[in-house]
Amino acid sequence: MVMSGNAEHEMDQEPVAPIADDHGHILVVDDDPQIRLLVARFLQRHGYQVTGAPDGRAMMEALAHSAIDLIVLDLMLPGRSGVELCRDVRATSHVPIVMLTARGEESDRITGLEGGADDYVTKPFSPRELLARIRALLRRARAGQGAAVSQASALVTFDGWRMDLRRRELQSPAGTLIDLSTGEFDLLVAFVEHANRVLSREALMQFAKARMSDDPFDRTIDVQISRLRRKLEADASGGQLIKTVRGAGYMFASTIGHHEGLTA
Amino acid sequence: MTRLPGRFWPDTVASRAILILVAALLAFHMLGYWAFRVGVESFASAGRDGGLAERIVSIKRAIASIPDGAERDRVAHDLSSASLEVHWSKVSLVLGTVPATERTREMEARLKQFAPDLAAESFRVGLADDGGTATDRHLMLVSIRLEDGSWVNFSSSTLGAAQHLDWNLTAIMICFAVGIVVVALLLLRWATRPLRDLALAAERFSLDQVPQPLPEDGPAEVRRAARAFNTMRERIQRLVAERMQAMAAVSHDLRTPITRLRLRSELLDDDATRRLIDADLGEMEEMIDSTLEYLRGGVSSEAARPIDLASVVETIVDEHLDQGHKVSLSGLNSAPILGRVLPLKRAFSNVIGNAVKYGAAAAVRIAEADGHVVVTIEDEGPGIPLADMERAFLPFVRLEESRGRETGGSGLGLTIAQAVVGSHEGGITLENRVEGGLRVTVSLPRLDRPAPERSAGGER
Repeated sequence: MVMSGNAEHEMDQEPVAPIADDHGHILVVDDDPQIRLLVARFLQRHGYQVTGAPDGRAMMEALAHSAIDLIVLDLMLPGRSGVELCRDVRATSHVPIVMLTARGEESDRITGLEGGADDYVTKPFSPRELLARIRALLRRARAGQGAAVSQASALVTFDGWRMDLRRRELQSPAGTLIDLSTGEFDLLVAFVEHANRVLSREALMQFAKARMSDDPFDRTIDVQISRLRRKLEADASGGQLIKTVRGAGYMFASTIGHHEGLTA
Repeated sequence: MTRLPGRFWPDTVASRAILILVAALLAFHMLGYWAFRVGVESFASAGRDGGLAERIVSIKRAIASIPDGAERDRVAHDLSSASLEVHWSKVSLVLGTVPATERTREMEARLKQFAPDLAAESFRVGLADDGGTATDRHLMLVSIRLEDGSWVNFSSSTLGAAQHLDWNLTAIMICFAVGIVVVALLLLRWATRPLRDLALAAERFSLDQVPQPLPEDGPAEVRRAARAFNTMRERIQRLVAERMQAMAAVSHDLRTPITRLRLRSELLDDDATRRLIDADLGEMEEMIDSTLEYLRGGVSSEAARPIDLASVVETIVDEHLDQGHKVSLSGLNSAPILGRVLPLKRAFSNVIGNAVKYGAAAAVRIAEADGHVVVTIEDEGPGIPLADMERAFLPFVRLEESRGRETGGSGLGLTIAQAVVGSHEGGITLENRVEGGLRVTVSLPRLDRPAPERSAGGER
């Protein structure tokens, strides 16, 4: 039940300036040699060092011999599946893992995230989206010194609301699931992690952008917040959670409970 | 059986069977009645005619033994009875000149047969003149010549008379027939019920649903038909499943080369080309996703949970707004249903996407009616011709003729939406708005009482 002070630290310290953290060693585990090669070339182009592994054994070998900063792991692998490998890695390491899953297979996504993956990208993925996710995870990992979402609390509660950070789900006090867009969810995560503090638009934008792909249609943070508010207002208790602080930004006013894992 | 024209020819097995039964019964009864009548009548008339013949002979003898003419006439009167009238006269009542008819000849033979004594006598048989009254018309006349040349004349209405139709018997017969029809109707309806069930099952047969084998009971023919039906359905289902598996496998496998292409295009230096390739790849992905979703038939591995449909629709509407589309949302901001998020998202994306694509704008409204959440999506397009309404839900059918060619798409959008909504026990309908444009109405059962909050381990 640790909400690291480091995350706030990051918010305070890191400037709005663009990401300068395009470095690190990424392990790409995929049985398709072409995809390994292409992902490697793509990521190298963006400044990363890349090692490829066709299966679990090669992956473990790479982990043993070099300092890996992040793993891109295909769910469908010959031999041990991606989920099993994910659990194996989690047993000893906190290295961030991005899972590659088949689109539309909800069960894949859930098993992947519950196996300990920090994020997922559906195949066929857009390389830019993968890059955005990698950047975000690496930043979080560095800021929290290895503590990515999966190592922090998996379940957050506030005013009867329940937020599952692994499954990326929000449940209202009435027990209904509220659908949030990726941006809205990230925004809510930012609010929850900095509850009862005034957050400037810039800080929020910085935080939410970390996850979002460079979508040219991204709306301003105000639009995102009004949408998030509207969805929270669907339940009577959600109306006043996000307060506007005139001239300063927004504040999420609630008592946050953190719980380790164990969703139903 | 050849098809008989006319709408009175019964159409069902039961009514045909009843018709056949009634016809057969009627024929049987007629025949039986006729045989009975002929038998009884010939027996009765033989007895009656035999008695009369004997009386004729004995009366003739009695009169012949009386010498005096006046006495003869009196005795003849005395011997008369209701069934046989006797007169004595010098002349015969039956004129010798009257030609013998079939009936008189027959009567003559019968009399000779019943009373052999008559054979030796000289007698005439005739019918009373037609000039008489109606009751006399069938009066049979017999004249026997005595030795002195005078005649004893007999007239009888019963001699050789035909029996009348027995209405009592006829009435009983009709009642009997009606009774049989009623009983047969009930029995046949019962007997043909398995057939009706079979037809119903065949009508309901759908590949989307969990197969429910037809019960193989009832009469032998129906059992056989049910068995054949079940076998046929299994075969169809296996065939379809195989095809779908093949299609799913191909679609699934296409994802790897598309991923590769995406990565390759990312390595291109020419930005314009890269964008075009990405757009094409996006379209391909969309087709593959639709195909896979269609093959899943609205079924998902995801469990149905209480969800807020309004939030799902909001997310989709917001996405369209972000892309600069003309979309509006009104109505309820909370609509709890029991559902699966991903398939529902897909269904509403398809419908709202269609409205934007073909109808230029989408006005989405969330309402509530009769325990259902009702989402209406109205566009400002040309609508759909009435003739195409049904076809709109068919897989791989694109109603492009009226909607322009360049829009692309797999032709699966509405098919998937319908399957998803159907798997949530909801309904989806299309109608053209009076003001122009299409209105799609999706109705899903509302969740009245949200499931109790799941107890979370570690909470509090």
